[in-house]
Amino acid sequence: MILKNKVFKKGSIVLLILLMLTSMVVGCSKTATNEDATVADTLELKETTDAEEPVIIRLTGGDYGYPTPFQHYPRGPGGYKMQLVFDSLLERDENGLIPWMAKEWEISEDGLEYTFTIHEDIQWQDGKPLTMEDIQFSFEYFEKHPPVWNPVTMDGKAFVEKIEIIDKDKIRFTISEKNVTILEKIGDVRMIPKHIWEAIEDPDAFQGEEAVIGCGPYLLTNYNKEHGTYEFTAFENYWGSKPVVEKIQFVPASDEVLAFENNEVDLASIGSDLLARYQGDSRFKIIQNPGFWGYRLLFNMEKKSIFKEKEVRQAIAYGIDQEELVEKVERGAAIVASAGYLPKDHIWYNDGVKKYPFDVEAAKERIGDRKITFQLLTGNSNTEVRIAELIKISLKEVGIDVDIKSVDTKTRDHAINTKDYEVALTGHGGWGSDADILRERYATTVQAGSSPSSNIIPGYENEEIKALAQQQLGETNVEKRKKIIFQLQEIIAEEVSFLPLYNTTGYTVYQPSKYDDWMYMYDHHTVSHSKLSYLQRK
Amino acid sequence: MFFMIQERFIKIRSYIITFLCIITLNFFIPRLMPGDPFTFLSAEEGQIHTTFSYEDIQRYKSYYGLEQSLGRQYINYINNLFRGNLGYSIAYKEEVVTIIKNRMVWTLSLVVAAIFFSSLIGVILGSLSAYKRNTFLDKILYFDLIVLSEIPAFLIALLLLFFFSAHLKLFPLSGGISHFTAFTSFGEKAYDVLHHGTLPLLALILTRTGTFYLLTRNSMIHILEKDYMRTARGKGLKKGRILFLHGLKNAIPPVVTRIFLSLGSILGGAVLVENVFRYPGVGSLMREAVFLRDYPLIQGIFLIMTLLVIVMNYIAEILYKKMDPRVS
Repeated sequence: MILKNKVFKKGSIVLLILLMLTSMVVGCSKTATNEDATVADTLELKETTDAEEPVIIRLTGGDYGYPTPFQHYPRGPGGYKMQLVFDSLLERDENGLIPWMAKEWEISEDGLEYTFTIHEDIQWQDGKPLTMEDIQFSFEYFEKHPPVWNPVTMDGKAFVEKIEIIDKDKIRFTISEKNVTILEKIGDVRMIPKHIWEAIEDPDAFQGEEAVIGCGPYLLTNYNKEHGTYEFTAFENYWGSKPVVEKIQFVPASDEVLAFENNEVDLASIGSDLLARYQGDSRFKIIQNPGFWGYRLLFNMEKKSIFKEKEVRQAIAYGIDQEELVEKVERGAAIVASAGYLPKDHIWYNDGVKKYPFDVEAAKERIGDRKITFQLLTGNSNTEVRIAELIKISLKEVGIDVDIKSVDTKTRDHAINTKDYEVALTGHGGWGSDADILRERYATTVQAGSSPSSNIIPGYENEEIKALAQQQLGETNVEKRKKIIFQLQEIIAEEVSFLPLYNTTGYTVYQPSKYDDWMYMYDHHTVSHSKLSYLQRK
Repeated sequence: MFFMIQERFIKIRSYIITFLCIITLNFFIPRLMPGDPFTFLSAEEGQIHTTFSYEDIQRYKSYYGLEQSLGRQYINYINNLFRGNLGYSIAYKEEVVTIIKNRMVWTLSLVVAAIFFSSLIGVILGSLSAYKRNTFLDKILYFDLIVLSEIPAFLIALLLLFFFSAHLKLFPLSGGISHFTAFTSFGEKAYDVLHHGTLPLLALILTRTGTFYLLTRNSMIHILEKDYMRTARGKGLKKGRILFLHGLKNAIPPVVTRIFLSLGSILGGAVLVENVFRYPGVGSLMREAVFLRDYPLIQGIFLIMTLLVIVMNYIAEILYKKMDPRVS
């Protein structure tokens, strides 16, 4: 019996050693990823690209839908893939809107008429010329059949009253009321060929080769739904800036960093932990993404009336250590959000707004004798649960008890939509959008399900914010509008009707020898989403 | 004869009732979950999403027939189902049948191969273990296979990915086939598919072999103690003949049943493994469909899975009766 036990122990030890060896080998490979000195030994780097060779870029794929304005998915970057094929009147570069299909435009003094002059010799990818009728048709078709990314409506209503073709290269849009965001919206509408789409009654089900004929710089040459692969090839008769990248291929990757290390993709998003591996090595370039993606804390003042008191909201803002969230959850790859909402990287960020550093005394002072407890609803991702746990710990210090409820994303979104929460943690992009986002976030009404319209922040109303938000919408003088936006941010920061927590600023690494013309759009956090990244620029 | 027909009728009736219950549950459970396919207020970190306006959501609901009462939708679903129409995926914007067909090929290949190899290895090792009961070989096999079968499939998959793909670079990191590659022959393409499928398959085999091993070992131990086995040994038959011809023949029926019944649990493991390797199967699709509340796709996937499991149960039952006449 003793002998048998010994044999059993021996067996166990052998297996344990085997398991440990496996772990060590895996561990070694992981350790190596943190040591800068070993990069050269472990990587098989590509040779410097010959200038004559066509540039082929490989990026992390995944199925985001057939890249037509109707078929790409509402989640993920499918819309940016669609934009490679379908052009618009204006584009975005690092600094703002730039002329694109429209080489110039005029806005009437009353701000109601927008006249665009269109480049000549623009042709569709099937060889037919683009006409003003195509542009008019695109707008009218999208009004009748809203695309997934829908710039032809505002607050659910179409804003273009009339479209007139002035000349063979001029088109005029008349809008119903003055609105400074209209130029961006008109400029963002994708052009679709009338000769193809006029016969299509159900664009949501329209697939096939004809559905992806646009006038953009790239042709869709391969798409596989189940594998999540796309291949875009430069359109040789493109009317505008010549594509520098001959082919953009999207391939599935189990892990983007591993795929980058194995030269399977040419660009990877990395966190702070991997920075040391690539820093100081001339073969790699690291760029920090602007903080246009962030988390915020929503207060439901209808359900929990104590949040109607500004002092309570401010106490929570002081009681959450946002620096700690940035350090512990994001390992430093984030910035503390502005209480005035527009993040630090936004072109109209106001640095003078009220700030809420972690301050136990300031929080306690504002709480006074009140006994505050609430349930914090969060998604079930690791990051969100960690944020919630840290919030719970820091608020405990100031005397606020938090009960965390973690659910899946759709359940959380549903709860927010139906106002079935006390405090909710949510994360999303779009923080770099036009400053009108302040009106959308703080001063609009929404309709959820069949319920009547109500304020976007449940139980909260601020006439001053509403008035300013409306005023900026009609202010065509840029400097004056900027002043209003700055004022709005100050009031919003003072009010903290919801609490922006932090904006993520991860890193992107690539090999400049392979391709080095990556560009961020002025309002977006992902470099590979910019169409201009792949085109020749002056 | 009459009793046999009656028994078969009862059996078929019970399968039909099971099927009807399941398609009803498939219809109602996803719709009772909070959320809907069109409301997106948040995204995974760094990702983007579109928040539809109220008007857009109403339009989409009307387009997909979701504005109707649940009862009406259920009747439509049953009507369409019996016409062979599984519906149109809201999230993937394609016929559910097409989506499942294109992906099921990958998953079924993986699952069938995993069942075949894990049962084969499990039966051989289980028989050896039983024959060499309480020896070093038995102990080590028992311990190792139990440990492996208790480790979640995704963890094994991750270890295999890091070690064989990332570190040794022997296998591809992800996917089911090399993309944007012109294969010169069918053989080359087949090799590429096998090359991509090896690690996901290995992960499933490693986690599933333990079950078949244990079952075979226990069944075999029971058989080896029978008088006719002692007689076989007394007759001086060769070890292999005793073990595999006399022993295994009698020990195998419960194992065969388990092989067919294990389809459901292996499919569950495949979901996790496919996610790790970005394998283009139905597993990752199922996760996404639930996550996105894509009702027609959830219904379609679970319907196919239900049918597969019911058919497998039926086959297992018939085979067991054939192999062990005492059951009949």
